[in-house]
Amino acid sequence: MTVFKGFLTITKRNLKMVFLYIIIFLTISIMTQKMLGPQGGISFERESLDIAVIDRDGGALAKGLTEYLSAYHNIKDMPDDKSILQDRLFYREIYYIVTIPEDFENKVLLGTDTLPVTKVPGSTSGYYVDQQINTFINSVRVMTDGGFSLTDAIAKVQENSKESPQVTLIDKNGHGGSMPAHAFMYQYMPYIIISILCYTLGYIMIEFNKTDVRKRMRCSAVSDRAFNSQIFLGYVVVGFAVWCILSIMPIFVYRNDFLTDTNLPFYLLNSFILTIVALTLAFFVGSFLKSEELISAVVNVLSLGMSFLCGVFVSMDVLGKGVLTVAHFLPVYWYEIVNNLLAGNKVLSSSQMTELYQGLGIQLLFAAALLGAALVLRKNRAQAEG
Amino acid sequence: MIHIDNLVKRYGTLVALDHLSLDIHEGEIFGLLGPNGSGKTTAINCLLALLKYDKGTITIFGKEMRPDSYDIKQNIGVVMQNVAVFDQMSVWENIDYFCGLYVKDKERRRELVEEAIRFTGLEDFKKMRPKKLSGGLLRRLNIACGIVHKPKLIIMDEPTVAVDPQSRNRILEGILELNQQGSTIIYTSHYMEEVEQICSRIAIIDHGQVLATGTTEELKKMIKTGETITIEAIALDEDQLAQIRKLPHVFDISYEEQTLKVRLSSAKHNLVRILNYMQEHDIAFGRVFSELPTLNDVFLEITGKELRD
Repeated sequence: MTVFKGFLTITKRNLKMVFLYIIIFLTISIMTQKMLGPQGGISFERESLDIAVIDRDGGALAKGLTEYLSAYHNIKDMPDDKSILQDRLFYREIYYIVTIPEDFENKVLLGTDTLPVTKVPGSTSGYYVDQQINTFINSVRVMTDGGFSLTDAIAKVQENSKESPQVTLIDKNGHGGSMPAHAFMYQYMPYIIISILCYTLGYIMIEFNKTDVRKRMRCSAVSDRAFNSQIFLGYVVVGFAVWCILSIMPIFVYRNDFLTDTNLPFYLLNSFILTIVALTLAFFVGSFLKSEELISAVVNVLSLGMSFLCGVFVSMDVLGKGVLTVAHFLPVYWYEIVNNLLAGNKVLSSSQMTELYQGLGIQLLFAAALLGAALVLRKNRAQAEG
Repeated sequence: MIHIDNLVKRYGTLVALDHLSLDIHEGEIFGLLGPNGSGKTTAINCLLALLKYDKGTITIFGKEMRPDSYDIKQNIGVVMQNVAVFDQMSVWENIDYFCGLYVKDKERRRELVEEAIRFTGLEDFKKMRPKKLSGGLLRRLNIACGIVHKPKLIIMDEPTVAVDPQSRNRILEGILELNQQGSTIIYTSHYMEEVEQICSRIAIIDHGQVLATGTTEELKKMIKTGETITIEAIALDEDQLAQIRKLPHVFDISYEEQTLKVRLSSAKHNLVRILNYMQEHDIAFGRVFSELPTLNDVFLEITGKELRD
């Protein structure tokens, strides 16, 4: 087992890098989960702006609008002076100016005029105030058209604005409709598995593939078969160890949440199959790389490239159609398809189960293709060396 | 111990080994001497079954050598021309790794590794990585990895290339010691001084053919040159050179950059005769050297070219 022991010795030399990647992985996944997870969903806060309302009308409707806006924003007292108002807007003392014209009711509510407003150009918060003014005027208009007096209509709209709607997400996955925290960790796992295995095994294979070392090995009493078996064993052990470490991490971080997830076996199976894919990819990469300098470049292109294209760093929902079409030809895409299925559903229907097994099967096919390509590459290389 | 018969190896139209035949006996340090590209490394690679050859047979320890002859390989140590070690393993780990390819017992292996480290003088560098070693130390590590399992046959392919004189001497002394401990050694080099210094028998090889085989003395006897006399003389004219050429036992002279070089066959008083001629003709001369033939002379006469061409 000398070759296997040598394999592990070189692996030990690269442990620092493995732990560095694991720390990066933990940090990214926990941070993202905090930002986008269930807690992140309810941490929304309404924005309150400093605005000015210039009331030239003074009627009930104008007062009602001012009161309505004051429920959302801080109304600053400002003189009706165009240059002063522009200065304040320029220096961001206020972000929005509503000028209520004389005869507001007839011109705007009953007529077709629009309310003159001045805002910081291109600001998103400006649109937010626009929307609130529209809501107020439209609501009052609907109610007065429906028979309410102006005073009652204004009172009703103000009353309604104080009520906030109750939103309940359909709980399909046992996590209140949100993505479970551990699913974020599994979403990012391909990047880490591919990076760690390709780097570590790439470095090892560069050592074992050196022409002179290979020649020296062929002179020894160890047969090619024994050599290849021990290298294979090395791959299996390193791959399994990395998978175990990454699988234990969600247990430590999320404890019962993860352990009680009914999809736990599928999460483990999906990541295990991805580990097999990553091992074959590492074998492929190790078969053609000849210098350590190249490893970093190639592994970064592979791991980051696949991660960005296949929905690891950016959710698949926001990826373009073209990107997703290309991603079909990459194994990580199928991993993420399975992961999304597991994250979104507590109990999988039979069609979802079919989709899940299809995803797992396609990943295995990728692994077989990569292994075949690597073997052909190695055979050609051996023939070229005589 | 080793019998190579009629070996032919072609690379396309290039004939690397042209009906090469050799016999190497147990206990010898057998030198394969030839210029770069003469076929030495190809012969070694065929001997180790690293290369397929087109024709001929190779027998080692009485058995045919094939890629799967692991029982034969168990008793062979190889020191490659290029250093073949793992950069990510320390000196100790490298030697232990290569020892482990032959010796399974952990305790025995530890002893052998320590012995190889002592033998190559790497005691102070055990924990260092190869990249931090100097060229000479790296070569020594390469040798330690090749000989650690105490093989019966050691094949060394130019182990002193690009090595400083101090390390080279240490390596050569080590090779002699290994031989005294019972190992048969095949040593390839294009440094004739090394081969002359350590080899008990030598084969001169060029264009993939063995041109001559024998001990150093036997090879020297094969050639006409018995002595080469070199004299620093400021001015010699054509007549004088012609007369020197006619002196007894002289068969070749050259006069370049005020240095006269006279080759003579073996005979008594060769030097006296030439110096007498110089005095009689009032020819001023400076330093005078007399050299017995070297392997370079042997190579020159056999192949018509300098060994280091």
